[in-house]
Amino acid sequence: MPAPLDEDDVMLNDPLRPVSGARIPVKLHRRVCLVQTEDAVLAEELLARKKLAQDVVGRLTDRVLLIRPGRVEIVIQELQKMGHTPQIRNQ
Amino acid sequence: MPVVDPAYWSELQRHTLASYDEALLRQVAARLVKPRNQWPIEDLVERGAAVMSNPAVIDRRLEDLTPPARRVLALIGHSRQPYWNLGNLVELTIALGHGDGLQPVLELLDAGLLYPHLKVVQGAASSNGIAGKKLKSFEQWMAAPGPAGLVVFAPPSIAARAIGEDLGLPDLSKDEERAGSVSDGKATVADASGSLGSSFQEADGLEWLLRLAALWQQASAAPLRRTQQGEFFKRDFERLQQDPLLNAVPPDRLADVPDAAFLAIALAEQEGILADSDGELRAGQLPASWNKGLAGALESLWSDLPRLTAWEPREGWRGGEVQAGNPFPSAYLLAFLLLARLPEEATVKPESIEQWIVAQHPYWTNESLRPSQQKPWLETFLLGVSYQLRLVQAVRDADGAWRVRLSPTGRWLLGLGEAPNLETVHTQTLLVQPNLQIVAYRQGLTSSLIARLTQFAAWEGLGPACTLQLQPETVYRALEMGQTFDSIRLTLEQHGTRGVPPAVLDSLRTWANKRDRITMYPSATLLEFGSIEDLNEALARGLPAVRLSDRLLVVASEEAIEFRHFRLTGTRDYALPPEKCVNVEADGVTLSVDLARSDLLLETELPRFAELISGSPASGRRQYRLTPASLNAARSTGMTLTTLETWFHQRSGRPLPAAARLLMTAGESEAPRLRRHLVLHVAYEELADGLVQWPHTRELIEERLGPTALVVAEENVGPLRDRLKMAGITLAE
Repeated sequence: MPAPLDEDDVMLNDPLRPVSGARIPVKLHRRVCLVQTEDAVLAEELLARKKLAQDVVGRLTDRVLLIRPGRVEIVIQELQKMGHTPQIRNQ
Repeated sequence: MPVVDPAYWSELQRHTLASYDEALLRQVAARLVKPRNQWPIEDLVERGAAVMSNPAVIDRRLEDLTPPARRVLALIGHSRQPYWNLGNLVELTIALGHGDGLQPVLELLDAGLLYPHLKVVQGAASSNGIAGKKLKSFEQWMAAPGPAGLVVFAPPSIAARAIGEDLGLPDLSKDEERAGSVSDGKATVADASGSLGSSFQEADGLEWLLRLAALWQQASAAPLRRTQQGEFFKRDFERLQQDPLLNAVPPDRLADVPDAAFLAIALAEQEGILADSDGELRAGQLPASWNKGLAGALESLWSDLPRLTAWEPREGWRGGEVQAGNPFPSAYLLAFLLLARLPEEATVKPESIEQWIVAQHPYWTNESLRPSQQKPWLETFLLGVSYQLRLVQAVRDADGAWRVRLSPTGRWLLGLGEAPNLETVHTQTLLVQPNLQIVAYRQGLTSSLIARLTQFAAWEGLGPACTLQLQPETVYRALEMGQTFDSIRLTLEQHGTRGVPPAVLDSLRTWANKRDRITMYPSATLLEFGSIEDLNEALARGLPAVRLSDRLLVVASEEAIEFRHFRLTGTRDYALPPEKCVNVEADGVTLSVDLARSDLLLETELPRFAELISGSPASGRRQYRLTPASLNAARSTGMTLTTLETWFHQRSGRPLPAAARLLMTAGESEAPRLRRHLVLHVAYEELADGLVQWPHTRELIEERLGPTALVVAEENVGPLRDRLKMAGITLAE
């Protein structure tokens, strides 16, 4: 029976973990419009707003909403109408 | 607000020289660069542009000019405005006594010290920098003015060297002495608040900055809309006409300014405080010069005066009108230069200056000038506009009439004196009240403080004590512009006469925190990793990103990504149409997603109507299946057949599969029925064709199921057997 591997050997043999320095596989998504809320409850509140919901394509996480391309200004205005003051992070 | 960056002027000069055809370029270069032999065109362009940064060469070239040409350059230098309408320069030259106003300008163009402002299209140059369409002569350029008219420019470094040239202007105080209307002008200067024993008045220079700040706020809240002809729509016109801040009487008013709000518009456009966007005037940026001190701010406004076309002191707002010729830019400069000719301490009446201008300026010496165009205007300009810009000082004479002279600021701006120290020493000038109102005592205001206050508070009153109001919208605006709760608090505390009330700090903090509740990324770059370990590794390598989930990071700017750490497995640009990345399997309900080409939209759309079966990022594919339950759920959320059809077309390039259509519409179609049929099978297709065609058998066949299969009703079996026997066919049972 072979000796059990120690922690370093496990890391080196892990096929899923890239060896330090190796390039990390990643998929790039460019020009994505997102809204990130402070908490999940606020995200629900936004989704409950009919005018906003129609511009929300999906929910990436419980706090991150994916917005339909080309609807940025409309969404900002709707958020402001709701009384919110969203921080706009431009590139 | 002219550009001061030498690199800009060098590049512009280079582009313009490159726009000349070879003959014209060599003609200009012969005087500008004085090449000793036949240099290549590219070298002539480069050497020509290099002259701009060589004062010794500039001085030698100036010496080669005739006095009228040197005067034209000196005039441009005094104005600190590099761009001038050709007509105004001609007017100035004639007013200085030169019969041919155009010749000096042509001389400067030929000498390469003045340039036509051509429409040089960026990117149109070939690899050696030569633009496409060449100018053959300056006369050619003058023959085709275009909508903006003929504009020339002199690089600031060239025009500034000509300052000091004797312009031949008279000392008007001597003319007044001869006329018997003399003031000794011995009084000392007072500031706007005045002091006992002094009679000269000089403004604080803040009035137009405050009005421009108020205008910026107006436009931030609601842009101003203009017609194609340049006039304002009625609602916005009235809004400007009636605005209490823009039309307020200054505390030290010496003369009324017609259409003051519209003068503010004209100045704001020059300063970039308002920017035209598809016929709407939107708030731009507050000038960076305001952060450099009052002198810098006034210098920028001074250089705007020759470019004001939509407002003039005689009639006020002229925006939208086609003006045949605007004499005021040249007239303004003449007025200031006449003031500069006065001996120190001497003053003159505006009326005297205007009389000289009217007698010398070709616009007013024109015999066909209508009486309405002969209205006096200079007192309005000097006492209403220039005084508030701190360019002139004013004093009343014994008869109560105003007399003026240049202020130290005006003298400095003309290039005839040292820069004055205009900065306020004591800047604890704000009183922040618990009701969120701010009182700003004017004597402590600076241009940079005005800029900061404008960002986070709303101006409500202008006067010796200005008032502002802190509001959630204004604080939010400031936060969006890069200010923080701490920077706002610091401004109020540093410049406050007392501490900021706790209630005000609480409100500011609440509004600032509210902004942190929702963050919007209008155009973010997301990095999608195959596993949480890969994501953590990316962060460990210093990627400046925000974690959204176990597999997603968002970065503010793609430039921050060091791509050498990553191997791209796919990219997706969401500004482009959706990609076809779904393969429909033969069963019509199983969908295979190519993960390299899919996107986040797909991954949020699919779960709405399909169930995930299998797949992992490592395999590069993921499978979903349409089921009755998943499509039921989709229908209940409002998904329609049309939406599904569109989705399939966009994502797979194929129409909606029959099986998917079946599951989507099953409940909506007519209920299917079970029926018993007798099926007649024949040996070959042509036999079936014959039976369907022969009238004796056709009427006994209900329908054709296939090439060799025919449906026959049970009650027709007997007759069919007989008919087939007639044709020699025996029916096998």
